Amino acid sequence: MYPTLLDLAIFGYIAATGLSLAYLVQREEWLHRLASVATIAGWVLHTVALLGVAFRLGRPPLGSLSEAVSVAVWVAVLWALWAERQYGVKVLGAFVLPVVLVFGINSATTRPLAIPGIERALGSAWIWVHIGLVLLGIAAFVLNFAGALMYVLQERQLKAKRPGKLYYRLPDLETLDRLTYRTLALGFPFLTTGLILGVLWAGRAWGSVFAYDPLALLSFVAWTIYAGTLAGRAAAGWHGRRAAYFAIIGFAALVLTLGAGMFLPGRHGS
Amino acid sequence: MALFVAGLSHKNAPVELREQLAVEEDKLRELLRDIAATGVVQETLILSTCNRVEVYGVAEAPGEARAVVFRQLCRYRGVSHASVEPLLYTHVDDAAVHHAFRVAASLDSMLIGEPQILGQVKDAFALAQGCETVGPALHTLFTQAFAVGKKVRSETEIARHAVSVSFAAVELAKKIFAGLGGRAVLLVGAGKMGELAARHLVEQGAFPIYVANRTWQRAQEMARALSGAAVPFAELEVALAGVDIVITSTGAPEPIVTRAMVQRVMHGRRARPLFFIDIAVPRDVEGSANTLDNVYCYDIDDLKQVVEANLRERLREAQRAEVLVEREVAKFLARQGDVEVIPTIVSLRERLEEIRVGEVKKALARLPGATAETREAIEGLSSAIVNKILHAPISKLRESSRAGSSRSWLELVHELFGLGRK
Repeated sequence: MYPTLLDLAIFGYIAATGLSLAYLVQREEWLHRLASVATIAGWVLHTVALLGVAFRLGRPPLGSLSEAVSVAVWVAVLWALWAERQYGVKVLGAFVLPVVLVFGINSATTRPLAIPGIERALGSAWIWVHIGLVLLGIAAFVLNFAGALMYVLQERQLKAKRPGKLYYRLPDLETLDRLTYRTLALGFPFLTTGLILGVLWAGRAWGSVFAYDPLALLSFVAWTIYAGTLAGRAAAGWHGRRAAYFAIIGFAALVLTLGAGMFLPGRHGS
Repeated sequence: MALFVAGLSHKNAPVELREQLAVEEDKLRELLRDIAATGVVQETLILSTCNRVEVYGVAEAPGEARAVVFRQLCRYRGVSHASVEPLLYTHVDDAAVHHAFRVAASLDSMLIGEPQILGQVKDAFALAQGCETVGPALHTLFTQAFAVGKKVRSETEIARHAVSVSFAAVELAKKIFAGLGGRAVLLVGAGKMGELAARHLVEQGAFPIYVANRTWQRAQEMARALSGAAVPFAELEVALAGVDIVITSTGAPEPIVTRAMVQRVMHGRRARPLFFIDIAVPRDVEGSANTLDNVYCYDIDDLKQVVEANLRERLREAQRAEVLVEREVAKFLARQGDVEVIPTIVSLRERLEEIRVGEVKKALARLPGATAETREAIEGLSSAIVNKILHAPISKLRESSRAGSSRSWLELVHELFGLGRK
């Protein structure tokens, strides 16, 4: 029953992605309305599916990396719906949803429901907080990435002085820069606190912080990139293109991190 | 009775002729009354702009009406009817509706999407209304045409993208900055075109405005005209540091803003974007400044290129608008058709309801001991029978009206059900 719901949610996201991309190419208001409906429907189904899993397992659906990614996707969609209205960026879906979809499908297809020994590891309440904070951070960085990508595309059009289709569809640079900055400022504290908790917990439980865990190592790389971007923004007044490139690189590192966690042997379970 | 439109436009008539035929408001009133007085048209409206002279009307014989109207109009304007007649086009019924919608939606305009035409159609309508030459047919047609015009403007981007260089610059600024309110503008040089671009920016809320010019006197004059402040030409670099948008239009033979200068300026701006609108020929800003981060430098050729792209985008949108208009025409005609058959449908229902109520009353009179349940059953039964009987003729009527063949069906229904005169 519950996997079916999750499949339906994914199906909703697939439809929403297609419609959003179509809206990017063809400015038809009904496409946008349908995309919104599909997104919300997918999200609601996703919510029910997650609640179902939580009730069945008697714990938050964060017991494995793929479960956690699924929740991160859920948060990202919610934030994307909010940001679209807040910033009036109607094409946001076309940039967020494909990413959401890739993560969502991944988390739905690599679904180990019970990792041996997970119950013991999850005994500590701190581990839940660690997972929860990190995935809130990841959700914010999905938006950060989408904003940066839009910025780079629009900036290119303006520099090249040959307006293409995207020039007309994408919003102004300042709005995109603001979206990128805000999502960075939102995601970074979550990621930082989450990682610190993870490090503390790992030190106690595993003995060594980064012992044989590619995810932990790579997450530190991603964090460093984001920390550098934030520092550059706040102190050196980086704006625009440079900040956008860093946001994209940071997100690439984040994706690698999660990929490593899912596909390489390590302590975050694969 | 047929709805028609007859006239000429920029598509087929030269400007000299259109000029000669254009009628001013006062004369238009007179003309409308004269035409109404001839009795060839039941309703009429004249749309006279610099790009078209068209007569909309309802007449028994549109061809004859067209001849009468234009002969009258030519007499008014002292133009020979013979030179006008071959240029006239006429659209009747469905085609007239289609034409009216396209005109109101600015799809028939010389510059597709230009916004004035809708206002001009509205004025023409108000004028004809004032002269009492608008009846129900033109009223329904034009009210709907206004709605279609508005819909096309809001649902397509036909009128969105600037087709003049100065407006294109404003739009570019809006793709760099989130709104132009409170953006500081520096105008370098005191040319007409630069002033125009500056005015557009001011209209969008840009503030404050600084003016620099080689002659201090001229800078002050221009500053006063734009409610801005003059700044010394020698301190151009200082001024650059504090503004967001720079318009340059001097006659200088060499660039007055160099890449090195912009680089220095950008250093102190903490990456705040700087947008150069360089409409001077030869250019005032070194083109290579565009390669600097957060600097956007558009010269007159770049702006023209943007305008061309905008025009192409408008044409793409116009295709979507055509589809939308066609859909609206179909809807309008369907509704019109229904309007024609609705009175018959209503009287048909009334007639059968009358019979039903009468028969039920008689039946109940013969059943003095009937319970509430029985009464209810009889009411229900009779209503159901009436509705079932009505279903087929009503849908047939609606269908036929949409197919344009309602007349014979209307007569048939009246005859069969004894509905009396239509």
